[in-house]
Amino acid sequence: MEWANDKSKGGVLAHLERLETQMSRSCKNLEDPPRETAESDLGTKIRKLRCLRDKLRAEVKQRQARIKASTANAEPDQTLEISEQEAVGGKEENMKAILQAYRFTGINLFASGLSGKRTSRGVCVCISTAFEGNLLDSYFVDLVIQKPLRIHHHSVPVFIPLEEISAKYLQTNIQHFLFCLCEYLNAYAGRKYQADQLQRDFAAFLAGPLQRNSLCNLLSFTYKVEPQSRSFPFCARLLYKDLTTTLPTDVTITYQGTDASSTSWEEQRASHENLFFTKPLHQVFTSFARNGERLDMSLVS
Amino acid sequence: MDETVAEFIKRTILKIPMTEMMTILKAWDFLPENQLQTVNFRQRKESLVQDLVLLCENKRASLRDAALLDIIYTQFHRHQKVWDVFQMSKEPGEDVDLFDMEQFKSSFEKILRRALKNVTVSFRDAEENAVWIRIAWGTQYRKPNQYKPVFVVYYSQTPYAFTSFCHLKSNTPLLSQALTVASNHHKIVKMDLRSRYLDSLKAIVFKQYNQKFETHNSTMPLQENLELDMHMDSRIIHENRIEKERVQRVTQETFGDYPQPRLEFAQYKLETKFKSDFHGGILAERKEPLRCLIKFSSPHLLEALKSLAPAGIADAPLSPLLTCIPNKGMNYFKIRDK
Repeated sequence: MEWANDKSKGGVLAHLERLETQMSRSCKNLEDPPRETAESDLGTKIRKLRCLRDKLRAEVKQRQARIKASTANAEPDQTLEISEQEAVGGKEENMKAILQAYRFTGINLFASGLSGKRTSRGVCVCISTAFEGNLLDSYFVDLVIQKPLRIHHHSVPVFIPLEEISAKYLQTNIQHFLFCLCEYLNAYAGRKYQADQLQRDFAAFLAGPLQRNSLCNLLSFTYKVEPQSRSFPFCARLLYKDLTTTLPTDVTITYQGTDASSTSWEEQRASHENLFFTKPLHQVFTSFARNGERLDMSLVS
Repeated sequence: MDETVAEFIKRTILKIPMTEMMTILKAWDFLPENQLQTVNFRQRKESLVQDLVLLCENKRASLRDAALLDIIYTQFHRHQKVWDVFQMSKEPGEDVDLFDMEQFKSSFEKILRRALKNVTVSFRDAEENAVWIRIAWGTQYRKPNQYKPVFVVYYSQTPYAFTSFCHLKSNTPLLSQALTVASNHHKIVKMDLRSRYLDSLKAIVFKQYNQKFETHNSTMPLQENLELDMHMDSRIIHENRIEKERVQRVTQETFGDYPQPRLEFAQYKLETKFKSDFHGGILAERKEPLRCLIKFSSPHLLEALKSLAPAGIADAPLSPLLTCIPNKGMNYFKIRDK
């Protein structure tokens, strides 16, 4: 309500400028003198290493994406950025800008499952998720066009880091916020789909229930590859440390059968590891089912 | 079978209403189907319970089995307990949470046992990747009291835990520590939110209570209903039609169209100075703040609040102290002068 009144004192932009200078002033005041304890040094080191790791991960992903790149898919940073000016200049313009952005990037956005509808207070964004051409759940985020932009209510599951993503991007780059959220939700939906498929269609290959968690980023199960075999010789532990992917980042397969001496078990174990790294979970089991006794080595590519 | 265990099982089964008996026993899955079929479920409850306890004895039910039955009973009758909510937090920039349910359970139990030898801990997996934990507390010299257990419900990879009210407050720090460490969090804080309705608490903190979204297919239903009422009979003129419409609109904006989560009370502890226009009144000079406690109770508080303005009992909009309850996730407040 404040900013509406301040319109007389040089407009909304001037008000924002004032807020900005206020903020940078108070930031300077809050800067602590550097602490020279070993603990804070280690902490800083950890943060730097994490930063570097994230940068490297992002680079790897970018390169992978470039390799896969088709002309139809534009990269996020090519799409229309809503400048701060537009974000500030009244409700009407901002909504127009957002909706224009959707139309502007056209197919790309719809391909990524984003659609929006104007509401009395802003826009309600619908994020549809899909995996391998199967349409999965849709999630909604109802945005109120105010300064600051805020989320009125949403249907994003509580274990998806929505607060984190909003804190980083909501105020400065709405599109990136939506793309980021889209990434997380699609990846979650994809992982969940794989885990559900495994439980539903390949229960016969598993000894006991599939162990999982809310994000489906840690899966643990004991399995066999021969449908007629009575023992379940392999133990799998799949970790998905990158919440924006649908393939695991860590795979550990252990052989717990009695015939530990035979080298073929070791070969199988190693090839399974590779399979789980490169193929979706249920597809791995589809190939187990299809090949019966011997794993076709040509699948491992 | 231990006598105490037999007694415990007997008392637990006695609590189960006859209509739920079969369902709960099946969920327990301790007595096999064929054995249950040999029991006469039409006899008087006391005799039925005796028969069932005998079957349990023959199958050598352990304390573990009995605790599991207690969990299942409580899951069916969760509103018989009063639930508190704890909120946990992590350090910023933490790595992705790779929650392993088995690791969580073993870590949780280990932490409790390290501090307290006499404790019974039991787990039961639930839907939505959650777990129900039952803890019976003992002391250094006394065996755990199986009749006053604490229940904890935790949904994996969320920062919230729901605990049933515990008379023994001394064990709360230990329980908090176990929860925090086992679930990979750093800090834990008790929220000012309490209710019998566990599912409503979950809806409030998980922000799942408003799931109505305007999609391309939906329409605006609000205005239609109101106009229908107003034009029922053309011989009746509503003099305050405009005001009524305003009240409806404000109520709808505040409370939405969705069913409200269920709470039984809202409590406000006031500590404020007396403010008066009359100078020199008795209370105006008083330096100490006035203290009072205001409690609103209802079988369904939020629905009741929602109906206040349309019923003409209160002005719309209602005080934000009342309307902020689900949004802030609080139903007891301390209000002091700023």
